[in-house]
Order: sequence, then structure tokens, then C-alpha cells
Amino acid sequence: MIKNKPEVLAPAGTMEKLKVAIDYGADAVYIGGDAYGLRSRAGNFSFAEMAEGAAYAHAHQAKVYVAANIVAHEGDIQGAGDYFRQVRDHHIDAVIVSDPSLIEIAITQAPGLAVHLSTQASATNWETLKFWQDLGLERIVLAREVGLDEIKEIRKHTDIEIEAFIHGAMCIGYSGRCVLSNHMGLRDANRGGCAQNCRWKYDLYEMPVLGDKTELLGENADGKVEDFSMSAVDMAMIEHIPELIEAGVNSLKIEGRMKTVHYVSTVSNVYHKAVSDYCADPVNYQLDEALVDELWKVAQREMSTGFYFNTPTADDELFGKRRKRPQFKFIGQVLAYDAQAQVVTVQQRNNFGIGDQIEFYGPNFTHYHQTVTELFDEDDLAIERAPHAMQVVHFNCPYPVQTGDFIRAQAIEKPARVQR
Amino acid sequence: MTELIASVASIDQAEALMHAGVDTIYAGEDYFGLRLPHSFQRAELTTLIERVHAQGKQIQVAVNAIFHNDRIVHVLDYLQFLAQQKVDRITIGDPGAIRILHQSQLDLDYWYDGADLVTNSRQINFWAQQGAKGAVIANEVPYRELVDLVPNVKIPLQMLVYGATAIHQSGRPLLSNYFNFVQAHQDKLDRAKGLFIAEPHKPDTHYSIYEDMNGTHVFANNDVDLMTQLPKLAALPVSHWFLDGVFADPDNFPKIAQAFAQARDWLASQSLTAAKIADLENLVQANQPANRQLDTGFFKIDPSEVK
Repeated sequence: MIKNKPEVLAPAGTMEKLKVAIDYGADAVYIGGDAYGLRSRAGNFSFAEMAEGAAYAHAHQAKVYVAANIVAHEGDIQGAGDYFRQVRDHHIDAVIVSDPSLIEIAITQAPGLAVHLSTQASATNWETLKFWQDLGLERIVLAREVGLDEIKEIRKHTDIEIEAFIHGAMCIGYSGRCVLSNHMGLRDANRGGCAQNCRWKYDLYEMPVLGDKTELLGENADGKVEDFSMSAVDMAMIEHIPELIEAGVNSLKIEGRMKTVHYVSTVSNVYHKAVSDYCADPVNYQLDEALVDELWKVAQREMSTGFYFNTPTADDELFGKRRKRPQFKFIGQVLAYDAQAQVVTVQQRNNFGIGDQIEFYGPNFTHYHQTVTELFDEDDLAIERAPHAMQVVHFNCPYPVQTGDFIRAQAIEKPARVQR
Repeated sequence: MTELIASVASIDQAEALMHAGVDTIYAGEDYFGLRLPHSFQRAELTTLIERVHAQGKQIQVAVNAIFHNDRIVHVLDYLQFLAQQKVDRITIGDPGAIRILHQSQLDLDYWYDGADLVTNSRQINFWAQQGAKGAVIANEVPYRELVDLVPNVKIPLQMLVYGATAIHQSGRPLLSNYFNFVQAHQDKLDRAKGLFIAEPHKPDTHYSIYEDMNGTHVFANNDVDLMTQLPKLAALPVSHWFLDGVFADPDNFPKIAQAFAQARDWLASQSLTAAKIADLENLVQANQPANRQLDTGFFKIDPSEVK
């Protein structure tokens, strides 16, 4: 039994995702407010919504953090003191900040509000962690470039809380030290405008001081021209939860405030299960391969371990042809289950119908598979498919599914990227 | 009086730069500093410092890398060496290095250089509170923001007036990874190779890219040249003008520096006319590498255009 069980920290772009993440095992969630956040397109929270989210979280022994991690320009920080006080007074557990001006304002003008250093500040060594700890910060989100051995070394020198990304999409550069988007499209990467220019396909040239340019693009294994790109595969540390815990990481962070309920529920559930299983019995812990399979159902890209074990190679970037792999779509949520009649009532989220192979999954890592053989609408009329958003339908189901369980179905295969 | 700071590629070039009117020579070693024209090891740096001080000029040393554990443990020794050499100032971007400097109580001034992160006065004043004697302002801060920012800062600002703008630093060897994938050109990684990337469907764009021990660096499409904007810059005032020769021709860079020094002097004597600016601008253009374009970067951008 491990006492210092780390939290699983999930992204929550909306109130629904906040509740789902917590239901599915997240110990904490991070959200954006109306100001100072980097995800301008995520559904950001008003103060009232923060209070509602915090109340829900606290009732479930979970925490809520607000990301306020922009790098501010002159004039952007007006009102920040009042903002942080409001955040604190609406019962948020901490703010995640990277700009020292906002850190200073949060600490001096909103006493009592815990401050976490954002990964945008690229903290990569223990002296840096101590610098921020001396100023009163409670937690550091490490740069994604920090390896597992480095975390162990950092832990030897400091007792400040360490948060580390364990799953999701990654910046290819040091977070914060990238303004490709500013220069290529006047979109400020450090103020929520990142256009993900790193994932574009570029030409690559060589040009001597005197002379003409020569294209340097090479060919992939199929003999086709391979564009230059700077696009990272995603991170998945599911196979290394024991090492992360033993290294002294206090918070295991999942990326993706823009991601779906399907993603948030699945990934939160998987990591919650792995962490709980390991902490309950570290000696006999073995990775359940079903957890890995589960993550692949919501994967957008190939997955790797980032910088944890070595400097990433070509295998950690999106080069080469695309490979087909199973894709799953989120099709609905269980509204009710009649055990006696063995009938489930479902609210549709994506088109599904008779003949589809579906899978129910619930917060306690329950999974039931069946084929849809009949389908009825709210008027009890037999239908072939449920094509309407939020349509309520029912059908037979022999399994004891629970209200709130989610349903996914294997979609038509889409091409996915893979390394060689 | 405005101070001219120039990066340096060799000891000979330092002599030429000082002769051209540069006040402060900026140098360093790749292990501790970012994107330098030349990596000066300690013996060579010692000679450089002697030569600079012999001319009555100043030396500024780059300690502005993002340090991991393996390097942060060598920072104290390096700072002690720099203090011993009576380096006039250093630049730092990693707060861990600032902590080490504080604890060492060495007689060494530092300026904060967090690259693109230095964008508002309150942040700069935070670093002033942490002992910084100046700060290097991000290249993404337009003039219209500087107008509001400069009166609020408690320490002087250094700003790039000529040279390449770094826009991306990756900890990954992005060129090696690509070349390993296509099994070609694996030797074409360093700055001397003149590699650049072009945006999709924009074959004329030119973003220089190279690898070194600090990772992969990408630079803006055009180099910055604020010659025509110097009167506005001086009036703010931004007092420390930085000329970065990282992609300049080593022989021509001092000529560019001389043009800026001349402008600085004429500004001080209130004799810098539009015609003189045009002549100096022509001089800069004439000494710019043929394959690199110049523009004013973010200086003239309307802040409201940036999303």
C-alpha cells in the first residue's frame, strides 16, 4: 500500500467534462476561466461555473485548478488581482500560471490561493523549482523535456509538489519558447492563439552564402517525397505508472482541454485504475493490457514516452505513411436501465443503429459489448437508426449497465499516422 | 547615451566591432548560452575579455540557456569564473541560475533574458525585484506596446535592432530525426550549412533552422533591421540596442555595426536626418547576406492585429 498516492489530473473544457472526469476517476481537473488562459477555444468557465464545478469536485473529494498561463503583454494584466481573488473566493483549489507578473499578482493580491507554475515556464532543474518554491509556489508543472531520472534527482533536492504530463498531445518545442504561430500567422502562441504550425508540412532547403537553394527533402520507405515536419506523436505513460510514482511525481497530468467527453472519461478511467491498482499492491502490480487497449480507442495519433527515457528520435515524430487502425466514436449515454425488462434507454451523441457493434463503459472500468439488434424511439416505434443529436432511444441490453455509463462504437476505419 | 551591444564570432571580429563603435561585446559558450555566433571556451573567452577591457569596452556573457540538472550543477563554477574575469554583465533566462547567482553573492550583474517570454513591464519589474539590472525585451513586442511599457519599467531594456529573431527552440534534434527517417543528409545539421524551411505553398519564405547542443532552433522569415525606426526607439527610450550577427557575414557585420553606431552618434547630436537614415539603411542592406531579407519584425505591427 502506497501512502503518497499521486493524483490523476484531467482536463475539463466544459462543466460536463469536469463532472465526467471526476465520475471516471480523476482526482483533480483543470479548467480555463474567462481570462488569462491559453485555450481560447475551449469552453471556459465563468465564476459561477467555477463555484459549481468546485462544489461538485469537493463533494467527490476532488480538486479544481484554473489555468491562467498566458504570457501577458502590456495592458493584459489589468484586473488580474481582482480576477484571482474571485477565483479564490469561488473555491478553486489553485491557479496554474507561467508569467511572473501574474504569479506575483496571485501571490500578493489573492493570499490563500495556491499557485502552480505552468509547464509554459519550462522548469527543467531543481534549482529552478527551489527558486519558485522560495517565492511561495506550491507546485511545479515540469517541462515535458524532463526525463524520469531527472525527476528522481529533482526529488532528492526539493519537496515542492511535482506535476508531470503523462498523456496526450505534446508541444514539439519547449513550451513557451515557441512563437512560430506569431510569426507565421499573427496568432500569439503564448496568449491562446497557437495555430499548431509545428504540425505543418514544410519544404526544407540548403543555401550556401553564395549560391542557389537546393531542396533537401528525402523519400520515405515507399519512395515518396517526405515533407519536413516538426510534429510529435502523443504521449502515453500507461506502461510506466510505477516508475512515475516511485520517482516522486505528485500529480499525473492528462493533456486535452479541447478533447471530447469520450476522451476525458476513457483516459481518466484508465489512469485512475492503473494508479489505484499499483498503490493498493505495488509488489504484485502488473499492467493490465486492457488499459492500453482502452487508450487506443481514443488515441488520435501514435503514442510514445516523450523525453521520459531518452531524447525523442524519428520514431517519436509523425513521419511516413498513414496506417489504418480501429477508430471508435462516442455514440451515447445511458439514461436508464430496466433490469427486469433488460431494456436500456440511451441519449444519442452520434449516429448509430441496428447492426452496430457497441460497447458500454462505466466509471469502475466496466465494459459490456453487444450488437444492436433492435431500436425504438420515444414513441416506442421501431427505427433502423438514431440519426438525431440528443435523440432518446431504447433497445434490449442483457447487461447491468448503469445510468451515466457511456457507449462507443467502432467507426469506419480512418487512416492514422504511424512511424516506420 | 544609447549603448550598442553586438554578438561576436571571433576575437578579430570583436576588435573590428569595437573599432566600429560597439560599446559592449556579447559572447559565450554553447553549454551555457543560446544561439551564439561562436562558442568561446574559457581560455578563448579570457583572451576576448582582456582585449575588450583593454579597449575600455564592456563584455556581456550569455548564461541564458534552459538548464537541465546535468548543466545547472556547473553554473556556479562558470559564474565564479566570469566574476573572476570581471565580466561586466551576464544574461540569464533560467530562474535556477538566478538562484545560484543570489546564493553565491558574486559581484556579477545580470540582465534577465527569457527570450520571447519578456513581454510586459510588471514581469520585467518582477525580475528587477529579483536583482536583474536590465532585461532583454521579446521581439514580439510592437512599438505601440513599448510606448506604454517603457515608462513603467524600473530597469533598462535591451532590444534587437539588427539580426535574426529566434522563434522556436525544441529540445529534440528535429533535423537529425528527419534526416534519419529519410536516410539522407545526416551531416547537414549545424548553422554553417545554411538550412531553412519554407511554409507550405510559400516557397519564397525562409526560416533558418539548425541544431546544436541546446536542441533545434528556428528563426523568423526575415532578419530584423530597425535602422529606420531608431529615432522612435531612442525617444522611448530603449537604451540598449542589440546587433546579432549570428547569421551575418563575419566581415560585413562590423560594417553594419558601424552604420548603427553612426546613427546612434548622430541621434545624440540631434543631426540624424531622414537622408542620413536612408544612407545608413543602404549601408545595412549592402552588407546583408544576399540570401537573407530584412524587415522591421513586429515593431510596426498593430497590437490589435495579433490574435
